[in-house]
Formats: sequence, C-alpha cells, structure tokens
Amino acid sequence: MNQPAPLTPPSAPTRLEKTHLRLGFVSLADAAPLVAAKLLEFGHAHGLTLELSRQPSWAALRDKLLAGELDAAHALYGLPYGVQLGLGGPQTDMAVLMVLNRNGQAITLSNRLADALAEQRTLPQALATLGRKPVFAQTFPTGTHAMWLYYWLASQGVHPLRDIESVVIPPPQMVPALAEDRLDGLCVGEPWNAAAEARGVGRTIAYSSEIWPDHPEKVLACRRDFVSRHPNTARALVQTLLEACRWLDGPGHRNEIARWLVRPEFIGIDEALIARRLTRDSVSPESNRLPVRFFEDGTVNYPRAADGVWFLTQYERWGMIARRDDYREIAAAINQTQLYREAAHSIGIAIPAETASQVLIDGRVWDGSDPREYANGFEIRA
Amino acid sequence: MLRVLLVTDTDKPIGDLRDALARLGYDMLAGTTTSQALHRRVESERPDVIIIDTESPSRDTLEQLAVMKATAPRPVLMFSNDANQQLIRDAVSAGVTAYLVEGLATEKLAPILEVALARFAQESQLRERLAEVENELAERKLIDRAKRLLMDQQKLAEHAAYASLRKRAMNQGVKLAEIARQIVEAADLPK
Repeated sequence: MNQPAPLTPPSAPTRLEKTHLRLGFVSLADAAPLVAAKLLEFGHAHGLTLELSRQPSWAALRDKLLAGELDAAHALYGLPYGVQLGLGGPQTDMAVLMVLNRNGQAITLSNRLADALAEQRTLPQALATLGRKPVFAQTFPTGTHAMWLYYWLASQGVHPLRDIESVVIPPPQMVPALAEDRLDGLCVGEPWNAAAEARGVGRTIAYSSEIWPDHPEKVLACRRDFVSRHPNTARALVQTLLEACRWLDGPGHRNEIARWLVRPEFIGIDEALIARRLTRDSVSPESNRLPVRFFEDGTVNYPRAADGVWFLTQYERWGMIARRDDYREIAAAINQTQLYREAAHSIGIAIPAETASQVLIDGRVWDGSDPREYANGFEIRA
Repeated sequence: MLRVLLVTDTDKPIGDLRDALARLGYDMLAGTTTSQALHRRVESERPDVIIIDTESPSRDTLEQLAVMKATAPRPVLMFSNDANQQLIRDAVSAGVTAYLVEGLATEKLAPILEVALARFAQESQLRERLAEVENELAERKLIDRAKRLLMDQQKLAEHAAYASLRKRAMNQGVKLAEIARQIVEAADLPK
C-alpha cells in the first residue's frame, strides 16, 4: 500500500528524549489509529518504536498512565479531564495531544423498549411501560458515552439522575445483559451496538453524531509531565498518529484495518460487524447519522480547548463538580494545541479554522463563548 | 470491623484469601457474578473496602459508583507514608487493586493488602515458576531433537553436534533453543 509523500521537506532530525513508547488502548473499533500506527510502523519515520498494550478497563488504562507504565493512550475524551479534577479518583495534571476520531458511538435500546418507543412516541411514556426503574449502561463516569447518554435522555425529557439507573458494565457484558432483560438501553462504541443488533437483542436508535454532530470522541492522552519532559517525543508521536489517521481515510483501508481488529489481541469479534460501522458510507446523509471520522484533512484531530470546556459544563450539570469559573483555563492547559500545530505543520497538515457554533440535539447552541451561561441554561440537571 | 468486598471475576487464583481475611475478623460480603450485580451489591451493602484484580473488566463499574455516589469507595493509588507507598506498589504489581471509602484512614487498608498480596503474589509466583519449568523442559526436548538430527544427517558425535549448535547460535546471536527450533522446523518433523 502506498504511503502519501510528505508535502513539505522533512525538517532536520531532532533528538528524541525517548524512542520506545508503550501505548494503551481499549478494545473498541476506534482504537484503529493506534493499531494502524503499529501495524504499518508509522513511528519509524519519526524515530519511534511503538508497543501497544491492551487494557481491560479505562480505570486500568488510567492507573498505568499515571504510574508511567504507559506513555500515552487511546482515551475517552473526558477521561483526562476527570483525572485533572480528581473526580472520584486520583488527581494528576493531564494532557490531550490530539483527537483520534469524531462520531462512531451509538445508543441501543432493548427490543422491548425500542418497540415501546415506536408505539408510545415519547421516551418517558415508553419507559413507563417497562414496569421497573429503567437501567441504562455506559462505559465510564466521566467519559463520552456517559455524557452522550445523559444529554440524549435529557433531550427526550428523561432525567438521567432520577428517572433511570445508570450503571457502567464492560461492553462485552452489555449484549447478554440486553438479551436477559437486565438492561433497557446503553451507550457504547462500536462494534458493540452492531453486535447487539446482529444477535437480535437490541436496536440502535440514535447515533452519537445526532446528539452532537462531529463531536470529539477518543483522544491521544498522556500525563502533562510526559509532554514537558519529552516534547520532541510527544511531537513525533503526534506526527505518527496523524499519519495513521490519514492512512485510515485511504481507499479500502477501513476494511483492511477491520481485518486486523478482529484478532483476539485487538477486539476479537466478527469482522463484518467492525467493518460495517467503520466505513465511511453515511447511513443517512440527510440526517445527522454521520460516519466515524479519523482525519478528513486534519479537521478531526486539532485538540480544541472549547471541546473540553463543553465536557466541564456537563460535569457541573450532573453534579459531578461544583460550579467553578476556570473551565477555559483548565481546558487550555490540558490541550496541547501548540505542540499539535508544530507537529501538523511539519508533515503538511493544515490547522482547521475555528468551528462555527454547533447545534446539539436539544437545539442548544455551543460555541465555547460563555460556559457559565451555557451551564446555567439546562432545565434538566442535578 | 471493616466490611470487605472481594471481587473475583477473573481467573487470577487467590487461594484462601477470603477465608484468611474472615479469620482476621473482617466482615466479608458475599461475592457477585456480573458487573451489574456488583453495582447493586456495592450500592446496597456499602462495603468499606473493595479488593479487585487490577485487570478485572469490572473496575469501571466501581469507578462509576466512586464518582456518582459520595458513599462509595474510591480507588487507592497512593498511601500517605512511605512504607505503605511500597505496599501499594507491590500490591499493584501482584495485581491487587483496592477501593476505600472516603474518611477511612488508609492505614486500615494495609493489613488487608498484606494478606491479599501474599495470596496473589504466591499464586502468581507459583504460576510463573510453573511456566518457567515447562518452558525449560520444552526447550531441552527441542535441543535434544536438533542434536539428534545433526548426528544422523551429518554423522557427528554428540559433542560435535552440540558444538555445531552453539556455533550457529553465536553466529546468529540467538539462544540455542532458537537454532534448535530452526533445525527441527527445517526437517519438517512434528515438535
């Protein structure tokens, strides 16, 4: 397969502080950039040897990042922010080096609830038919799936803290839980929604892109002192992952990576399930059912601080943090935008323009300008 | 006495850890099967301490409770004083992770971790030893087979066959067992 030629001549080689890096990931289809980076050894051109280390939970991934057993990791967007604030766990200064993908997650309901929703039309009415307090699963308290789920529930008139029970269970357990009527709905990454549908135990009724079109999803995260101690290495790592993301956009490459992701050391699930939701064909071009994006000429990957501020407003909304006035400062310190700019520039990748306002599923507009007003403006909150 | 929940949803052998802790007077809560049941058990029974395999996929279930419920135990990664810092490190190396309710002195965790560490470490050391012994046996068989092949094919005496193996190993910069593997595979014999 062809690697695209660099658009600018390579700069003089800089000395890397560290050349062998251990990268953590969790078994989801959107770990694809790390898997591609390793399989195709994109690191070599930048002086890096990569070692991938699969983690059985986000907590284990976080602990190993903090302990230095992992240098960087595929992480849920909110995970580094939760650690930065010490939410229910250890506190350390964290860094987001780049965004790895946007979209690609979904909400799947049990057949029973999906049927009820089709009949009853509103979610509160559909939930009332269940005869018990509804149970919804997601993947991590400060993570993306929790935030998409809560935002979606609230947009449908359901209070995520009062009207349902929110549990975290490992994605492979979600499918049997649906089958055994222990779960009414879930929010998770692929291939787990596809798996639930394929096994006939649930129906995907909302894509994460319908909640916030082109939302940030996974990031390349590390401890902030990794960046301060190894800036050249961090830059080389961003270059490496950018090239991997760019490769994923190449013709036929999504199907190729799906063939690797099925292996037990990566995800170990049916290839067709992974490929189906990894390809770039939008399911419904008129709606906001958008495909997962990894690169799109670099528009995906710029680590925009305003994305992080959104997460902080939602942590406040759900009572996970007390209101504070420094969301922008926190997000600015976490997002390594300068380092990203340097890395992207050196391999000829453009920095996207700052996004215009984004309209989310409930009609509210997020443009990063006034987090206080934004956080205060939600009717359904803690 | 402290209420302790032991989560055993991985295949890490922990021997009689549960009984050992019970004998020390800890109030051992009943175990659970699924992560969902774990969530309910922690909410309803309010353990003070949770001991779980570092590699358990159910850890995120506990993280949800740690963030969303003020009364739930939180993950312990650090201890205050130096002696216990090492204990935490050793525990994690042995694959033990602890969650502790806020307000409880972390020192109270130390005896529990010592016991857990002894069980986890013992079992994992035993398993490592077993794996090492099995590996050594397999390699010896391989070397023996390769040696015999060389003796037959090249009419060498035993010491000469060994010398040939050693020379090749040195030239290639690999273990003797690796050369043996190459020779056996080339001869297309079942291993």
